[in-house]
Amino acid sequence: MHTEATPAPAEISDAELVQQCQAGNTAAFDQLVGRYRTRIFGMIYNMVHSEQDAWDLSQDSFLKAWKSIGRFRGQSSFYTWIYRIVMNVTIDWLRKKQVKGTGAEFDDAIQLKEIDPASRTAPKANALPHERMQDQEIRARIDAAIAQLSPEHRAVILMKEMEDMQYNEIAEALGCSIGTVMSRLFYARKKLQNLLRDVYENV
Amino acid sequence: MFMKTFEENWTAWLDGKLTGKELDEFKASLPDLTAAELEKENALKLGNLLRKRIGVPEMTNAEFFHHQLRSEIEREQHAAAPAPAGDTVRETWWSIGRLAWTGAASLAIFALCTFFVLRDKDSGGQSAYLTQIINARVDPAVSPDATISIFEAKEDKVTVVWVDGLQSLPSEYAAK
Repeated sequence: MHTEATPAPAEISDAELVQQCQAGNTAAFDQLVGRYRTRIFGMIYNMVHSEQDAWDLSQDSFLKAWKSIGRFRGQSSFYTWIYRIVMNVTIDWLRKKQVKGTGAEFDDAIQLKEIDPASRTAPKANALPHERMQDQEIRARIDAAIAQLSPEHRAVILMKEMEDMQYNEIAEALGCSIGTVMSRLFYARKKLQNLLRDVYENV
Repeated sequence: MFMKTFEENWTAWLDGKLTGKELDEFKASLPDLTAAELEKENALKLGNLLRKRIGVPEMTNAEFFHHQLRSEIEREQHAAAPAPAGDTVRETWWSIGRLAWTGAASLAIFALCTFFVLRDKDSGGQSAYLTQIINARVDPAVSPDATISIFEAKEDKVTVVWVDGLQSLPSEYAAK
């Protein structure tokens, strides 16, 4: 019932589904959820590094999207529109966690052991045990480096590198200017280059 | 046209978005083009690493995800939906009934409080002694300013006779 990601050409378009949602059709919304569930969950997971939190935040984001879909005017794609909700929800959550937590969230002293090395996002090819271990270590290093970025910097780097989104789409999703996006990308890349230099030079 | 900052130009250059005159100007503005090219190469390596290694995790229990979301949406819809007409009327009547009961209870509590407060006030204002002023037995010719008062303690059953201004005691009250 719930197909994943890119819709086939014969499938009903996002815009039509949105119109049906605005008429109160929950089944249409279910289809939209099916289309974007994985990408949104993945995006959030890579920002928060916790499967359970990513699940909850995805639920929260889709619920907020349903509540406000009546106000969606179709000036951007549904995907960009829901990304804005996702980013608001996730960045708010990260900020609250930072305030409530130990303060180690964006601390340079974050430890590798805090990152789950058995992340399911690690490549699953039939690699040899030592290769798998190496992959997991690299993934853990990347996660640890991303965890040191501010929520806004995490968001831009992931949307750019993972989602291959355009500057204007990222700007729309984050509710900021294109210049701000480019500037954040500059600093996020610089920081990651410093943290991961030995990794990308040796892989 | 607005002026781009160095950071914006650098990012655009890395992502291959600088072309023509903008690209030439940017390159000319760099103090060390060779070092910048090396830095760009490193940034591209980082980008490749991130794209290759940051995957999208597989969501377990996708069906349950949909189910949970549908349940939440239904709950929201029920909460937001207006109640049927009959229920509204009944709810209104319930509200009126509740209002009447609340009013009656408040009045009863007020009356009780008033009763106790007033009773306490009365008992607090009254002396613990009964006082009677007796003039009947005093002869105005002999003792014109005399007053005789009797104080009686209600609790202790004690009576005090207080005589004031008496010039002489009538002979029938003289001690024998």
